[in-house]
Amino acid sequence: MSERTEVLSALEDIFDDVFMDADVSFSDSLSSDDIEEWDSLAQIRLLTTIEKHFSIQFEIEQIDQLKSVSSLVDAILAKMA
Amino acid sequence: MQNRDWLPPVADDFKTICKQITEGSADRASLARVLHTQLDVNQCTRLMKAVCSDAGASVIACGFAQVKLGIVSNSTQDLLVAPLFIAGLRRGVWLNICLADFDQAWQESQSVNSKLCQFGPDFILINQDYRGYPFANGGVSQAKSDVRSSLDFITQVADGFLANAGVPCIVQNLALPPANLLGNFDIRHHTALSATILAFNQQLAERLSDSPHYLLDVFSEAAHLGGTQWFDQRSWLSSRIALSEEGTLFYCERVAALVGAIKGKSRKCLVLDLDNTLWGGVIGDDGLYGIAIQPGTPRGEAHLRLQQLALELKQAGIILAVCSKNDEKNALEAFQVHPDMLLKETDIAVFVANWQDKPTNLQFIATTLNIGIDALVFVDDNPAEREIVRKMLPDVAVPEMGRDPSTYADILMRANYFESLSQTEDDLHRADQYRANAARSKLQNNATDMQEYLRSLEMVARVEPFLSSNIVRVTQLVNKTNQFNLTTKRYTQDQIERMAANVDMLTLSVRLADRFGDNGLVSVVICHKQPMQLEIDSWLMSCRVIKRDLEHWICDYLVEHAITSGINQIIARYLPTEKNVLVENLLPELGFCWDEQLQVWSLDTRHYQFHRPPISKLEAS
Repeated sequence: MSERTEVLSALEDIFDDVFMDADVSFSDSLSSDDIEEWDSLAQIRLLTTIEKHFSIQFEIEQIDQLKSVSSLVDAILAKMA
Repeated sequence: MQNRDWLPPVADDFKTICKQITEGSADRASLARVLHTQLDVNQCTRLMKAVCSDAGASVIACGFAQVKLGIVSNSTQDLLVAPLFIAGLRRGVWLNICLADFDQAWQESQSVNSKLCQFGPDFILINQDYRGYPFANGGVSQAKSDVRSSLDFITQVADGFLANAGVPCIVQNLALPPANLLGNFDIRHHTALSATILAFNQQLAERLSDSPHYLLDVFSEAAHLGGTQWFDQRSWLSSRIALSEEGTLFYCERVAALVGAIKGKSRKCLVLDLDNTLWGGVIGDDGLYGIAIQPGTPRGEAHLRLQQLALELKQAGIILAVCSKNDEKNALEAFQVHPDMLLKETDIAVFVANWQDKPTNLQFIATTLNIGIDALVFVDDNPAEREIVRKMLPDVAVPEMGRDPSTYADILMRANYFESLSQTEDDLHRADQYRANAARSKLQNNATDMQEYLRSLEMVARVEPFLSSNIVRVTQLVNKTNQFNLTTKRYTQDQIERMAANVDMLTLSVRLADRFGDNGLVSVVICHKQPMQLEIDSWLMSCRVIKRDLEHWICDYLVEHAITSGINQIIARYLPTEKNVLVENLLPELGFCWDEQLQVWSLDTRHYQFHRPPISKLEAS
């Protein structure tokens, strides 16, 4: 499994924890436009959960930038590199 | 980092159990299994949704105290709701939470038509941190006047809610920001933020001490976790969320403990295992002088620390009990003769050392002390014992104890099972009273009949109205008595004080002493006086004095009082709850008859048969 696939699979679990009832199927192309519940508070919850899971820290400007699964994966991989 | 170390880790099947709760196929025991674990904010949200679903709530909701809590804050509160609800469940409280809009403390408090006042809350939580006060942004020159104006502001908000919503507030003091401006200089300089906050906190406690409001000690909770972990600057700057996730979880525990204590849900009894808990080693194998308890040895000091804590809790009115798998003689010997033991035999109200399973023994301890099983905290180093108690008795609090005894005392304190609203004179003697009770039940076994036993106790009762000297204890008793309680009405101290001053009310507080000691203030009666009748609004009695015929004595007293006042009729109601079955038949036993027309129990004082139990009356001085 590539590193990207591993991160994606972990993100899928995290999305289930944060957006538990949201009626969307998880994929690489998912963005905040697709999930109604993905508002600014959910974003904080999402980033906190990701940070805990991967033991990384995002910067404040990334809060507004990381609004899609693909950008999250890129950012996580960059932080872990 | 995970600091709520008294809770075990989240179970692997957490999501499955949440699903079962939603489907209505889980019971209270499986709820307890997931509830008392280190849930994070996401997991709290999932569990809350499950518990609040139609099927979940119908299975689980009963048995919790329902509390409507309104919250105002200068920070975003949305992420607080689920962890606060879950922390409430852990304390036996079902919270119905209503959030005011952002930063509306003043507006909400000043109008009966505001969102929170209209919500009909039981309490208002004013969650204001230092950034909600002027000194956070003010220049250095005006800090002193800022403290005063900030105190005026917060007391006016609290009193506004008291007037407009009719309920007391939970007001919090302030956590120190996570860093100083000029290092060591700040604390010496009264205009610096940290010095200002310390002054504010001290004066806030003074202002609240004579008010009906409750003080939430955020300051110490944040200090325990550490300011750098408590706050989260990034979330504050992006979303006005004040606390980190960890800070939020701790904050919610503190609030829930306070609300739980107000609702009488604090624990009353600490049950301790012996081998490798109160001392190191196994006394049956290592021998009396082989146990690790010596001062000056690291392992001995660790166990002594737990003993020291138990002793301090006992002095604060917490009952101590022992539950150990041991031969009783071996176990007792340590308490009787080992010179290094801090705890003595007389400190333990119920001492159980045998080879039965611990759930059975815990049940025996609760029954002997006449307290609910949900009043127990069980401390045991053995994970298997903890597991079986959690499984068989989900209402017993079982803190997680690691392998290192040096952590035991701190874990137990952090778990905060014994949250206390006040310390009355009675609290200080409570543990001894329970122990005397155990002595009385031994005497009871010897006495050939009940009347002889009661006579041998040489009981003396004393009745007083509600006075400033007893109002704290009366309030405490009113709010935590569950079993001997006819109507289970709860009143705040403020309401109790108003009753005391109301000439149309008859308020009685009853103390009982006997030859084993003073039981303190043990019963409360509240009546409405009307020209022709006396109506019992509340009557409750501490379980410590049940089966002593004190209820008969009090009934005699009430009837005598009625007759002297020319009143022929006393009426009363029994409102059943899950816990007051004990008094189901009290009224007919005392001589009340059911009035079908009025749907109340009624007693005609002219035909009353006085019970005259062997209790003598001490006139109020």
